[in-house]
Amino acid sequence: MKYVSEFRDAELARAVAAAIASITDPDRHYKLMEVCGGHTHTIYRHGIKDLLPEQIELVHGPGCPVCVLPMGRVDEGIEIAERPEVIFTCFGDMMRVPGSKGNLLEVKAQGADIRMVYSPLDALRIARENPDREVVFYAIGFETTAPSTALTLQRAKKEGIENFSVFCNHVTIVPPVRALLDSPDLRLDAFIGPGHVSTVIGCRPYEFMPEDYGKPVAVAGFEPLDILQSVLMLMRQLDEGRCEVENQYSRVVPWEGNLQALRSMAEVFELRPYFEWRGLGFIAQSALKLSGAYADFDAELRYSTPGVRVADPKACQCGEVLKGVLKPHECRVFGTACTPDHPLGALMVSSEGACAAYFNFGRKSLEKVEIGSKQ
Amino acid sequence: MDHDGCVTCSDAGIPVRVISVEGDDALCEDAADNRARIAVELVAPVRAGEILLTHGGVAIGRVAAEAEEDLR
Repeated sequence: MKYVSEFRDAELARAVAAAIASITDPDRHYKLMEVCGGHTHTIYRHGIKDLLPEQIELVHGPGCPVCVLPMGRVDEGIEIAERPEVIFTCFGDMMRVPGSKGNLLEVKAQGADIRMVYSPLDALRIARENPDREVVFYAIGFETTAPSTALTLQRAKKEGIENFSVFCNHVTIVPPVRALLDSPDLRLDAFIGPGHVSTVIGCRPYEFMPEDYGKPVAVAGFEPLDILQSVLMLMRQLDEGRCEVENQYSRVVPWEGNLQALRSMAEVFELRPYFEWRGLGFIAQSALKLSGAYADFDAELRYSTPGVRVADPKACQCGEVLKGVLKPHECRVFGTACTPDHPLGALMVSSEGACAAYFNFGRKSLEKVEIGSKQ
Repeated sequence: MDHDGCVTCSDAGIPVRVISVEGDDALCEDAADNRARIAVELVAPVRAGEILLTHGGVAIGRVAAEAEEDLR
């Protein structure tokens, strides 16, 4: 299919990699953060790190919504799912995210009616088909996913479906990036911006990064050549002393975003005053809740969730990995107590999680050989 | 639909071609010839033949026709 295979052309990839190498200062260390978990997945799945000069370090950012979800929100979702009148629906990845007393998959095994859906519209269909049950959708994701939830709620309201509600855990990308930029323990040179989030919000929200923090940004797509080309764009900016937001993914991302989607979100959601992020703590205005006009569909109100806070397991170092302070393999339980089959932390659950990407695509063994050789 | 990523975030954005429009939905086809009904309110109006970016059964953007030029 067009727009996929062209962006996996090995010859072009080698040419872009050579162009990157030609402007890399051998005496400098570059730290580029890919904000989005989707980029982390592509980088390791396609071995992009091995095409880059050793001076360029890719740091994995907080852009996997499963990974940044605090344990308390998982526990509250489980409490709703355990109610006998509820059909609880969620995306597949959510099923295995550990709460303090287990995960949704285990609760399902114990008899709760929990169903995996591909789309929030599937959850709404289940509500239509089961008028005597309460159907709850566990909404999670950045601005890429939030429009789907908004559209689903608009359809539910229009159709007058009363047995449907949403447990809203949508988050926004800019506040955590600002928190990272304000973090004293992280020095970054530039950012690979999230592609599909930007399809919705556009490129303008990132302008504060070059203007206020002096950090170049390249909004990038998700194919291997997209990532390589965005690295080249950032390296050119650093080489030429420029600092701006560039759009590598212009075939999909309009500079102003998707105004129809933004209008839909503005009607259905409003910003929470603050929200807890795993590893990053509480960040002001970083998440969405249902607006007053959609309060009847708000599962938090319908089931009076208490807003509990639960600390991560002591052995788990997801927080440091999320901030890019630790590489996944440097976590004390990586690959031993914490594996994709038995994850302790959320970063090992999602295919976009940095730890799962390291584990699944062989970085574990390579990195450990490197560490051993340095000692 | 055909993808190799995680649906919870964004890398499961899947390009699909519009086959036909049916009200607020459109029948679309992905690279593996899978067909599915996609909600298209957020990118309306759409026409048969257009390439859309979809996420979780909802179209969130369009893929520009001159995409290949991005590579050069």
